[in-house]
Amino acid sequence: MERSFKQEVQSLRLGAGDTFHGEGILAVTKALLQSGVSYVSGYPGAPVSHLVDVLTDASDILDDLGVHFEPAANEAGAAAMLGASIQYPIRGAVTWKSVVGTNVASDALSNLASAGVTGGALIIVGEDYGEGASIIQERTHAFAMKSQVWLLDPRPNLPTIVGMVEHGFALSEASNTPVMLELRIRACHVHGSFVCKDNRAAAISRRNPIAEPKFDFARFCLPPWTYSQEKQKIDVRWPAAVQYISEHKLNEVFTGKHDHLGIIVQGGLYNGVMRSLQRLGLADAYGATDIPIYVLNVTYPLIPSEITDFCRGKKDMLIVEEGQPNYLEQAIKATLQERNVTGSAIHGKNVLPQAGEYTGEVVVTGIAKFLGSAWPQGETAGQWKALTEEIRIAKERAADLLGQPVPVRPPGFCVGCPERPVFSAIKIAEKKIGKTHITGDVGCHIFASLAPFHLGNTMLGYGLGLASGAGIAANFKKRVINIMGDGGFWHNGLTTGVTNAVANGDDGILIIMKNGYAAATGGQRIPTSPGSPRVPSRQPRIDKVLRNVGVKWLKTIHSYTVSSMLKALVEASTTPERGLKVIIADGECQLERQRRIRPLIAKQLSEGKRVVRTRFGIDPDVCTGDHSCIRLSGCPSLTIAPNPDPLRKDPVAKVDNNCVGCGLCGEVAHAAVLCPSFYRAEIIQNPTWWDGIVDRVRRVIIGALRPSRSATAVQ
Amino acid sequence: MNAQPRSLNILIAALGGEGGGVLSDWLIASATREGFPVQSTSIPGVAQRTGATTYYLEIFPQKNVAADKQPILALTPAPADIDVVAASELIEAGRAMQNGFVTSQRTTLIASTSRVYAIGERAAMADGRFDGERIVGAANELARRAILFDMAAMAQTTGAPMNAVLFGALIGSGALPVSRSAAEDAIRESGKSVEANLRGFAAGFEQAQHPSPPLAPEAGVKTLPRNADELVASARAMFPAAAHEVIELGLQRLIDYQGAAYAGLFLQRLTPVARLEQNADADDFELTRETARFLALWMTYEDVIRVADLKTREDRLTRVRAEVRAREGEVVRIVDFLKPGLDELCSILPPWLGEAILNAARKRGLEDRFNVGLHIHSTHVFGFLLLRLLAGLRWWRPHSWRYRLEQALIERWLKAIAGAAALDTKLALEIVECAQLVKGYGDTHKRGAHNFELIARNYFDIDLTRTDTGALTQAIRKARTAALADPEGEALQTEIEKSLAPLTSSSAMPEVVETRH
Repeated sequence: MERSFKQEVQSLRLGAGDTFHGEGILAVTKALLQSGVSYVSGYPGAPVSHLVDVLTDASDILDDLGVHFEPAANEAGAAAMLGASIQYPIRGAVTWKSVVGTNVASDALSNLASAGVTGGALIIVGEDYGEGASIIQERTHAFAMKSQVWLLDPRPNLPTIVGMVEHGFALSEASNTPVMLELRIRACHVHGSFVCKDNRAAAISRRNPIAEPKFDFARFCLPPWTYSQEKQKIDVRWPAAVQYISEHKLNEVFTGKHDHLGIIVQGGLYNGVMRSLQRLGLADAYGATDIPIYVLNVTYPLIPSEITDFCRGKKDMLIVEEGQPNYLEQAIKATLQERNVTGSAIHGKNVLPQAGEYTGEVVVTGIAKFLGSAWPQGETAGQWKALTEEIRIAKERAADLLGQPVPVRPPGFCVGCPERPVFSAIKIAEKKIGKTHITGDVGCHIFASLAPFHLGNTMLGYGLGLASGAGIAANFKKRVINIMGDGGFWHNGLTTGVTNAVANGDDGILIIMKNGYAAATGGQRIPTSPGSPRVPSRQPRIDKVLRNVGVKWLKTIHSYTVSSMLKALVEASTTPERGLKVIIADGECQLERQRRIRPLIAKQLSEGKRVVRTRFGIDPDVCTGDHSCIRLSGCPSLTIAPNPDPLRKDPVAKVDNNCVGCGLCGEVAHAAVLCPSFYRAEIIQNPTWWDGIVDRVRRVIIGALRPSRSATAVQ
Repeated sequence: MNAQPRSLNILIAALGGEGGGVLSDWLIASATREGFPVQSTSIPGVAQRTGATTYYLEIFPQKNVAADKQPILALTPAPADIDVVAASELIEAGRAMQNGFVTSQRTTLIASTSRVYAIGERAAMADGRFDGERIVGAANELARRAILFDMAAMAQTTGAPMNAVLFGALIGSGALPVSRSAAEDAIRESGKSVEANLRGFAAGFEQAQHPSPPLAPEAGVKTLPRNADELVASARAMFPAAAHEVIELGLQRLIDYQGAAYAGLFLQRLTPVARLEQNADADDFELTRETARFLALWMTYEDVIRVADLKTREDRLTRVRAEVRAREGEVVRIVDFLKPGLDELCSILPPWLGEAILNAARKRGLEDRFNVGLHIHSTHVFGFLLLRLLAGLRWWRPHSWRYRLEQALIERWLKAIAGAAALDTKLALEIVECAQLVKGYGDTHKRGAHNFELIARNYFDIDLTRTDTGALTQAIRKARTAALADPEGEALQTEIEKSLAPLTSSSAMPEVVETRH
């Protein structure tokens, strides 16, 4: 894992009255324990990975409470685990990155929602939307609506988030419906504090298991019960949810003196709205507002009576709703119309953008625009105009002074990443066998589609690299190259891709990036992670699995040997042999490897043991500044520096001190017949006396062999 | 409600792995020590894989706020609402300005002037660096106060992580109501590398409080060998003063490469161009200078003899040791990666033999077969000897095939320059600059030479007196830029087709020459 959570784990032990300090997602984890949860699962992915990570490190606390924690194979598996709460009164929670995780989970979710639950079932979704998001931009809201799962969107402060976790379970039980808690990226990582309660051991848990199975057709997803379940959702569960939400005042109203106006906002955006009002002279820093605000900590279902109460008598309303379609705006308009609350103009996406994240800038300019049209005579109207002008001018002046946009920094492979050499090899292979269609997959390897490689034509989802090549392969002259990570392989790629391709006799090339972890999500373990598997003797092997499902052409190649990879690629592309050709690119995630070996090396060094450190370098007088090596690598430690030769203008390539000596530079220089500037330096730390003698003798002989400069200069 | 207290907003702009998260933690801890409510958020995730990452903090400068009156702090930074921008790298400071986060009424901008080049800058075929001076200029113009210095260098000299230096500068700037002792306590409390972090903090703090001017970079002064005196003297007599520096650098390079006689040839070749420019009453002698620069570089083309020579220089091991940060007493071994192509080996043979071997290999499609990757242990006796033997072939170089080819190309280029200079100095200068394309080794050199050849044949190996020199200058500049746009040569092909159409219709331009081999 990317981080150690030893410290965070300790804060999970805090008791009643203690103050927790930390990240939002860890506060949620603590809240789960306070809610008497019996089992937890999830599939990692930013921004909720830390929930899974911290529980992985917290086995003793979970043991004390009898909480069962099990990482799932994928989000569908995690959602299916919530099946435990269908028949039995036990609480369970799962987590994943949304919307992609919700997509994968939706089969199980639909069934779960139809059957309904007895024990509280909570799904914590990390809404990966806006700046820093790594996935397609869609709303989880649609899933809540289609399956009638309740959706919480709490104000992004720790006490509210924690409170909503606790209410989430109760709401789930009160309405026999699973509940989703949506946290945006920044809310997951928000650092704050809250006052804790004691952790609660559940009545039923692995320490106190259920003795007799329970069966109730009313909670079983088969016709005809599915028909009655649909009716029950509308007739029983929904009204029960509405009742719980309004009785416990999960949504909040903040009154203000200008009550001809009003703002309805998703809980998660409340702080942004408050900051905007403060900047517009209409609120203070403590939350006192001049414009009434209705905060939806529950965005589905809506509470019609609360909406009509809030809107009645208001002239102009603004709905601040992030993402599209504007479900809330549509629903609120419909509610007001149905209930004959007329006379208020409802603004929303007409003053705020249809799509994209509602950042501070977006919200403040949107609200200023709303006020400008709804209330032009407002007492602080001058301030609104001045502020929007100030923002515009700040950006314009910067653009003028900078002359051109500053260079972008697309994500790329880390220093020494084992996936980089594979794409270097593909790049070199292209010169020999031409370009072909390349299907990408979810994982770090998708960065190959960016600079400097630009390799990858489509990306269809996690573990779907091979499956997404099936259609194009049949319609493409050359053999298609499909990429898949080992994370994607175990997530579903083995079945969706490999087994099916073999069964259908597909004739493609699959490269499996075997780096040992679900690396892009933060280095979580997968069934084939190196070292200490849960059951060592049962650790699966990707190559054996592939053989067993019928792959005949299979090569495992050490990632960093570019020339072997090049050979395998050319062979796979040109061999007359039909059928799926799989290349396993074998190389451990360098981040994880460094994390593993650095402490070991530090220990050896401090013990005075001989350690050879390897890194690469470039002779600046030999380099001519063409940077071909960078275009075939992109390694962050392979950078540029001013040319030491005053006659030359182009910067030279340079290897900086982050180099981990992976060897790719030398491999590429060879495989691409590139340039003799590269050298590998082996630094012997704590050399033995023998190392010292050999070195000295060599230096003496070499010194004698070397002609003096002044002699060579004369000719 | 304007006079109400408001939060102090801090944007930390860093790159993945630079410790921006640790810096935020220190800030949180020190603000908490001071009794201020504080909140931080971040955007990690995939952005952290070498991308730009930001941390955003708000500190509410009111002590001991009642539990029921906690301030509401924002999660996203907004333009014109930032009190402090702390950037660990110069471009990231530029990005913060570009996003409107730096305003003269509020923002203290604290940034390192060090550069971590973006992939676009690094991968450019020539010089793709963003002009850092523009960012420094913009920072001084836009910020309420700008504190800019090379924090990477300071981190290195103090042996501390850069985020500690940045933290020191941040607190030292006085822009936040956080005392030095609270900040240092926060570092101590975090318990990791405390000594080094405190050292870096102190250095950054001092620099922010009492800015000292940056150290001037060391000038790489090289001395000319003694036998250059005569050449230098004659160069000074023959050429305008404005060109002396470049010419002397050229002489130095040529003597180092092949000897004094070859350097004399350099002066001889340069003379006609300089004379033309002197006749044209130039004042800056740019044409002479640039011709001297590229002529010296071209005449000292890279071959295996040169590479072997450079790799066996006495000062190399010292340079490598410094670069790889080898400590006193540690042994450093160097392995060189050489993979000369068959053509590179043939090029040092006599013309008839080299040509015969290469043609025979090409005919049989074996050209690439002979590319043997060598790992030469140049700090071992045998490896060193091998390189020295190659380097010792310097006397033979003038008899080699490559030498003959290069000299012919140089003469042709000089002829074109002279021809153009008689008509239009700018045109001549543009032709001079085309020599920039020819550089490198192996495929890189082949590509560059090919591009040069294309431009030469299409644009300047023609009767220049019948062309519109202004238009031709523009066309060559565009073609040269296009040649550096992509290694596949697609941009150059397009450019040639596009620009030659109008030129050919009215002049003596030849048909477009194909760009493929």
